[in-house]
Amino acid sequence: MSEEDPTRRTVIKVGAAVAAVATAAPALPDVAEAKAAVTDTARISLKVNGVTHRQELEARVTLLDALRERIGLTGTKKGCDRGECGACTVLVDGRRIKSCLTLAVMQQGREITTVEGLARGDALHPVQAAFIRNDGFQCGFCTPGQLMSAVACVHEGHTGSDDEIREWMSGNLCRCGCYPNIVASVRQAAKEMS
Amino acid sequence: MTESQVGRPVSRVDGVAKVTGAARYAADAEVRGVTHAVLVMSTVARGRVTAVDTAGASAAPGVLGVFTHQNLARLALPSPAVAFLKRFLPVQDDLIRHAGQPVAIVVADTLERAQQASGLVGVSYRAEPPRVVLADDMGEAYIPPQTNDGANDYVRGDVAAGLAAAHAVAETTYTTPMQHHNALEPSVTVAAWDGDRLTVHESTQGISNTQNALMQAFGLARENVRVLSPYLGGGFGAKGPVWPHTVLTAAVARQVGRPVKLVLTRAQAYTSNGHRAETHQVLRVGAARDGRLTAIQHTVTQQVSRTEDALLNSSEPTRILYACPNVRSTQQAVRLDLPMGSFVRSPETATSHALESTLDELSYTLGLDPVELRVRNWSATNQESGERHGSSYLRECYERGAERFGWSRRDPRPGSMRDRDGLIGWGMATAAHTAGGRPGSSATVTIGVDGTARIRSGTQDLGTGTYTVMRQLGAEVLGLRLRGVRFDLGDSAFPAAFASAASATVPSVGAGVVRAATAARDRVIALAVADPDSPLHGAAPDQVSVGDGDLFLTERPSRRVGYRQVMRRHGRLIEVTSEAVFAPMGYSVGATFVEVHVDPVLGRVQVRRMVGVFDCGRVLNHRTARSQAIGGAIWAIGFTLSEHTLVDPNLGRIVTPNLSGYLVPVNADVPDIDVSFIDKPDPSSPALGARGFGETPMTGVTAAIGNAVYHATGHRIRDLPITQDKIIAALS
Ligand code: FES
Ligand code: FES
Repeated sequence: MSEEDPTRRTVIKVGAAVAAVATAAPALPDVAEAKAAVTDTARISLKVNGVTHRQELEARVTLLDALRERIGLTGTKKGCDRGECGACTVLVDGRRIKSCLTLAVMQQGREITTVEGLARGDALHPVQAAFIRNDGFQCGFCTPGQLMSAVACVHEGHTGSDDEIREWMSGNLCRCGCYPNIVASVRQAAKEMS
Repeated sequence: MTESQVGRPVSRVDGVAKVTGAARYAADAEVRGVTHAVLVMSTVARGRVTAVDTAGASAAPGVLGVFTHQNLARLALPSPAVAFLKRFLPVQDDLIRHAGQPVAIVVADTLERAQQASGLVGVSYRAEPPRVVLADDMGEAYIPPQTNDGANDYVRGDVAAGLAAAHAVAETTYTTPMQHHNALEPSVTVAAWDGDRLTVHESTQGISNTQNALMQAFGLARENVRVLSPYLGGGFGAKGPVWPHTVLTAAVARQVGRPVKLVLTRAQAYTSNGHRAETHQVLRVGAARDGRLTAIQHTVTQQVSRTEDALLNSSEPTRILYACPNVRSTQQAVRLDLPMGSFVRSPETATSHALESTLDELSYTLGLDPVELRVRNWSATNQESGERHGSSYLRECYERGAERFGWSRRDPRPGSMRDRDGLIGWGMATAAHTAGGRPGSSATVTIGVDGTARIRSGTQDLGTGTYTVMRQLGAEVLGLRLRGVRFDLGDSAFPAAFASAASATVPSVGAGVVRAATAARDRVIALAVADPDSPLHGAAPDQVSVGDGDLFLTERPSRRVGYRQVMRRHGRLIEVTSEAVFAPMGYSVGATFVEVHVDPVLGRVQVRRMVGVFDCGRVLNHRTARSQAIGGAIWAIGFTLSEHTLVDPNLGRIVTPNLSGYLVPVNADVPDIDVSFIDKPDPSSPALGARGFGETPMTGVTAAIGNAVYHATGHRIRDLPITQDKIIAALS
């Protein structure tokens, strides 16, 4: 596995180039230099839902875009690409994070769980089943993020009351307006998972 | 007793796909060799592009093409008849009509490279100072020509005489801000050419419109354009019209010779999909001593763009809802250097808000309970058309809603109710929205030799439950169990359907499914009664009923035969396609009641309790209908208390193009919501007694919240949204 890892130097070099681009855009002082740098890629491996995926990636690729555009796991959604909506929520070592706000290279060696990894074959995870039973979604676009947040919310022990669930599920927007049903889903799943 | 397939709270049939990540939305489509487009948007609101420097972007790694008005192919402007409402295509000339208009498109092999290269495009402008403040240009207001939502200057009776004869008159001015849809899925186009054939995966509420617009833009035959949209991440009107980015994506895909995916950024969506235009509304409402309305005068002035003048905050509630002999409704426009407004969930909400708030003011002037005021002005007739509603149980809604809420315990005096840490207010209003009155849709029903049915229609499911209720309708008419019926949508190869808009899916698509299923069922019955070996042989077709997968004699249900046997003996499938028949306009109504808590120090308004009772005819699925109702109520919380797009008055640029500066409700903002339905069939419905409903439940709640804030504080905040600063200013 260590052969797959980028050297620390490669990551830092690429990272620095990305930072230069980000701060200088749109009027980039030295286009040629930035261009040369950002073609650098890193060979990384990501463990997603128990499966290791080896990828050659630019360091600037977010975990979200690596999942969706490279690995082909499109269940995780992009609603804003800037940490505001929660549609991209995944679990990393059991903790919920917004995958648009982290780079794929930073998540090597961690256990990443996406919505595709919740069910066991045909058997839905209790949170998935509860969302169906309580109509916890309409369009379903926020749902992968809501589900991952809900799993974490239950494990964190933030389901003591409806108000507590509301508070701890408020990082995930639902524009269809399913919140009362999401609360009911999380409440029910918490009961079944305890 | 056969089991009814409609009315039951069936779980969404697309539920498993949506909770496992298997549902593929437009951006999830697997397209081999797909490349990525990123738009470069104009940073000025008015003027001309004087130069575009594409050298750096063109030379950047992975870039396949950089397109500006100088090198993008000329495209034909699709017509408004196919819902291409914008009257220009950007990247075709040097003119800037609003900030956030595409001026260049970069295509690269990866998203990151396209994003980086888009930052290397240098655009120079000759900018002119834009005018973007409605209040500054009210003097420029004009009345545009009529569109299909009724007259812009509508008169019945004699308003001056009605006002003169009134015992009390409420005169008010209400204003509502620019607001954005913010469907969680931003708009997406994935375009792939194969010679002259174009396939597009599109996040659209109307695949037929998208198909037609692309045919017009590129001069293609229908069979050469296929549009797919099996799942949609919400729409709320954003994806109702066809917008330029769709056409532009197909154009650049053709020029680079590769499939291209464009996903709008959240910020780009703020200037690419329309918005709810800012309104300024003046109302004069007169009533007799007993509360009967003598006159309503309602003047709505709203923002339009330089290039279009569609007025989409329309005044139907004023014209249609209450019994009032003297009404004048005027809809005016003010041209500004902003993108065009468009349909946003429940477009009648803005005018309904002003009307229902003014009625609350009138109720205080008259000393009459606001529920009673509405009951006294109830009408079974559409006041504009003069035709009776198919059915109207609005009075029952008021009665049941008041009871569920405990309205009789309300002390009407403002500021009279409080709890330990703040003021309590109770408010109510009428929910009402037109539903349907739009073109019809076709559907094909195919009954296989195994006795199961497959139904197809080129409609969409934007989260409303189309997949589920169409299957229920088909199963009910055919007499099959749900698992014996499949419903497919989202493919322009299917029979054409009207857009998922205007609460028209049930009366338009639903009716198309009912007609096709009825004809298919009759053909199966005809087979069964003609077959000498069938237990139904020789029976008159009209004596045969269907249910639970069987055909049986209505009078002797034990004489029955299964669909499967009939079809197996027939040995061939049966297929029927229905004609599109114009969907009648329905009027779905309700009564909404709200309790708010106002923190007198922080000015914070919290909605504590909500009750909604609705009449939408027969309820096809209590689960999905309830979800529509709570969704509308939650939108109303945002509309009334937080949503407000801010535009820089000098630069004309939106300064809140995101989800952190523009506040949509979050889970913690929303209480549990008590929803119930009258659930009585509308005899005029072409869809088993059901009417369209999606847009009704947002109306009513907005004014009910505002009215509750008044009841809590004694202050009317007539300028939305009712934010903390306004409450603090009012209370101090
Ligand atoms: S896409 Fe990551 S929070 Fe919105
Ligand atoms: S279900 Fe549509 S955004 Fe939540």
